[in-house]
Amino acid sequence: MRLVGRPIPRVEDARILRGRATYLDDIEPPGTLHAGFVRSPYPHARVLRVDMSDALSDPRVIAGYTSLPGPPMAPGGKVRFQGEAVAMLVAVDRYALADALERVVVDYEPLPHVVDPAKALEEGAPLLHEENGSNVAHTARYGSPDAAGAAAPRVLEGELRVQRVVPAAMEPRGVVAAYDGHTLTVWSSTQVPYDVRKEVAGALGLPLSRVRAVQPDVGGAFGSKLIVYPEEVWVAAAAYLLGRPVKWVATRSEDFRATTHGRDMGLAFRVGFDGSGRVRSLWGRITCDVGAYHWGEGLSDIAARMLTGPYDIREAGVEVVDVYTNKTPLGAYRGAGRPEATFFVERIMDMVADELGLDPVEVRRANLVRGLPYTNPFGMTYDTGDYTGTLEAALSRLGYYELLRWADEEWARGRLVGVGLSIYVEVTTFGFETAIVRAEPDGSFTVVTGTTPHGQGVATGIAQIVADELEVPLESVRVVWGDTALVQDGIGTMGSRSITAGGSAALLAARRLREGLKAAAEQLLGSPVQYSGGRFWGPNGEAQIGDVVRAIYRGRASGPLEAYEVYNARSTYPFGVHVAVVEVDPETGHVRPVLYRSYDDAGEIVNPLLAEGQIHGGVLQGVGQALYEEAVYDGEGNLITANLALYGVPTFAEAPRYEVRFAERPHRSEHPTGTKGVGEIGAIAATPAVVRAVEHAVRRVRPGARATSTPLTPEKVWMMLRP
Amino acid sequence: MVAIRVRVNGAHYEHDVEPRLLLAHYLRDYIGLRSVRIGCDTTNCGACTVLLDGKAVKSCTVFAFMADNAEVVTLEGISEGGLHPLQRALAEEHGLQCGYCTSGMVMTLYYYLNKARRVPSEDEVRRAIEGNLCRCTGYVGVVRAALKAAREMYG
Repeated sequence: MRLVGRPIPRVEDARILRGRATYLDDIEPPGTLHAGFVRSPYPHARVLRVDMSDALSDPRVIAGYTSLPGPPMAPGGKVRFQGEAVAMLVAVDRYALADALERVVVDYEPLPHVVDPAKALEEGAPLLHEENGSNVAHTARYGSPDAAGAAAPRVLEGELRVQRVVPAAMEPRGVVAAYDGHTLTVWSSTQVPYDVRKEVAGALGLPLSRVRAVQPDVGGAFGSKLIVYPEEVWVAAAAYLLGRPVKWVATRSEDFRATTHGRDMGLAFRVGFDGSGRVRSLWGRITCDVGAYHWGEGLSDIAARMLTGPYDIREAGVEVVDVYTNKTPLGAYRGAGRPEATFFVERIMDMVADELGLDPVEVRRANLVRGLPYTNPFGMTYDTGDYTGTLEAALSRLGYYELLRWADEEWARGRLVGVGLSIYVEVTTFGFETAIVRAEPDGSFTVVTGTTPHGQGVATGIAQIVADELEVPLESVRVVWGDTALVQDGIGTMGSRSITAGGSAALLAARRLREGLKAAAEQLLGSPVQYSGGRFWGPNGEAQIGDVVRAIYRGRASGPLEAYEVYNARSTYPFGVHVAVVEVDPETGHVRPVLYRSYDDAGEIVNPLLAEGQIHGGVLQGVGQALYEEAVYDGEGNLITANLALYGVPTFAEAPRYEVRFAERPHRSEHPTGTKGVGEIGAIAATPAVVRAVEHAVRRVRPGARATSTPLTPEKVWMMLRP
Repeated sequence: MVAIRVRVNGAHYEHDVEPRLLLAHYLRDYIGLRSVRIGCDTTNCGACTVLLDGKAVKSCTVFAFMADNAEVVTLEGISEGGLHPLQRALAEEHGLQCGYCTSGMVMTLYYYLNKARRVPSEDEVRRAIEGNLCRCTGYVGVVRAALKAAREMYG
């Protein structure tokens, strides 16, 4: 019986449940020193002097640095966001370190700062990077330049905004490095150990062969750990220079400022449509606040190139402007551009429907792409699917119209509830990925995946795929990852690509190994053989797969013991329909998510239990984006939502009831796994669905009300409810 | 320095500690109990939850000296004789993903279910666990697992 498609509990769980997982802070080689950073309290300042002498007079303090191999600290003598590192200390333990950090004296000359991207673009605005000549970090144009002036019977213009949020993975970032005189080993809470290795080796002038990067268990990332941060290189450099292990683990408050934030995009749009709701043209200008450094390249470009969503809008054009401000740099966050695009286009669809007094579903249906593959105006080719058919199936499975009738009845009873629907198409998967499938001498198999899972359950999924291909029990396949001593190159877990790119690589490697073992079995048995269920057989007899493997290990047959596969994966496009139900308290503006239903065509589903889990988690992040979370900077450039006490990560109390469904007859991708990816769907689809649900409720009280920016805090909803 | 005697998971320990040493750091760095996770610095996330004299506490907000002459139980302590029904249910219901919050979730639910002595309602479970944050699961699997374990324990 095939394992793929079955809801198998995770092979990863046993050690976590016993407390035996090894996260970064659990790694402490003997003699480990603790590193910490002096960070700027100012959003923008010149660093005049750093005096570490008092701190260094403490014998528990081993070293202090204002520069190390790798990126410069306070580049050009300036800090550009609150929390930017100015100096690094190394001490014998974390308490001595905390004392010493207090004793470093830094003279700053505060400079005028800017936290509003619109103001940052004005003439005379303070410049973050003088040599750049302006605060424009990047511009691009996609699609038709004529879309801005396109003629249509009806035209609607407006502005939409998705706020800045903090990814807030439960494990803060951290890094440990140790140098034994030959090999520099760097453990990091990262999604990209291959990049960490390359950056560290490059900074220290070491060959890659002398640097090993290890990704231990990682307590979540959501895209916030997919760049190589300066701290990772600095800590490795200090360990190399000192010849002693060095560890840095961010405190939560430090992590809030020193780890990339997400989203933070605005859209100015002009949409032309006709009386039936058919959209004739869409023009947009995306302004993305990238913060102090352009670490999150490509986010606004993806948002732009997915702006028409699943709708066939021929006349479309987008301009992109990325703007520097004195904030924490922006980076990828679950969805990375697609949640923004989906929020924008779904808001526009709802507004068009409201303008015409039409059912929002009818407007969407009129515009949905028919006939795939389909290349959108920005060159993105949606691969497979049946959008109109899936929409009709979804409406019935999700009970959308029944929920609307129920909401009417509740309102008649005096209870204000709203129902919101969103449709999305999103782009997942890119680049190459690596897999090694190795036969062990006892006939079990080890799979080394180039992906870098950190909670998704990828090891279970890949084990299912490989066990099916080799026709062996799940228990015979073990999946390992995250160590450049095991696999030298890969990309990693991000962009919903792990099962599609990494799983396909593993599948093809397993297939090749199996073919090689079959050839060896034919040598052993002296005849053509067949294979099934772990057994080769032919006219002269039979051999278990483990017997064949042992024969190769002992030189009695020749054949491969492992297969190394590099798979290049083109992008693929999940599609789906989500419905959110919320209750609004008209007295306080408080919104309670009540119910969430989803129907997704994400290709083959390898493990429904884990795929549902991805939807659950992503949806709650999308709900948080819609209602609770925001990285707020005050006028002085202080991040005032700077820890988990002040920032609204949703708790149990805010979580809705979920009903997750996948398409009964999914449209496969072209990849061997047939999968499309499920990791980011929830975060992409939930925000527009929840926002429409709130608006749907509010419009009963204030018929013209419109939600144009997130989060919909009680204050904002209360204002919407009033004239 | 303060001399403390603490019983942790049934074993006795004596240490001289700084008065400011947090219980979470004591358990991790002195006893080597790595299940105690640190996820914040404001007592919000609950990843460091342990039982102190039978009560669930966030060990990042307790000084080590406050555990003098007390009994501490961590996740390791309830996992010794095989998995507790709660741990099994969490795996079956996919109540963990990255796993960083899991130790604290288990300890809070372990405390709550032992105290409840009956199968609670879903809302009661949600309220009981409000002090533990999870960023991965949307809490769905955790709630299902708690109810499943409760049914096994008291159903």
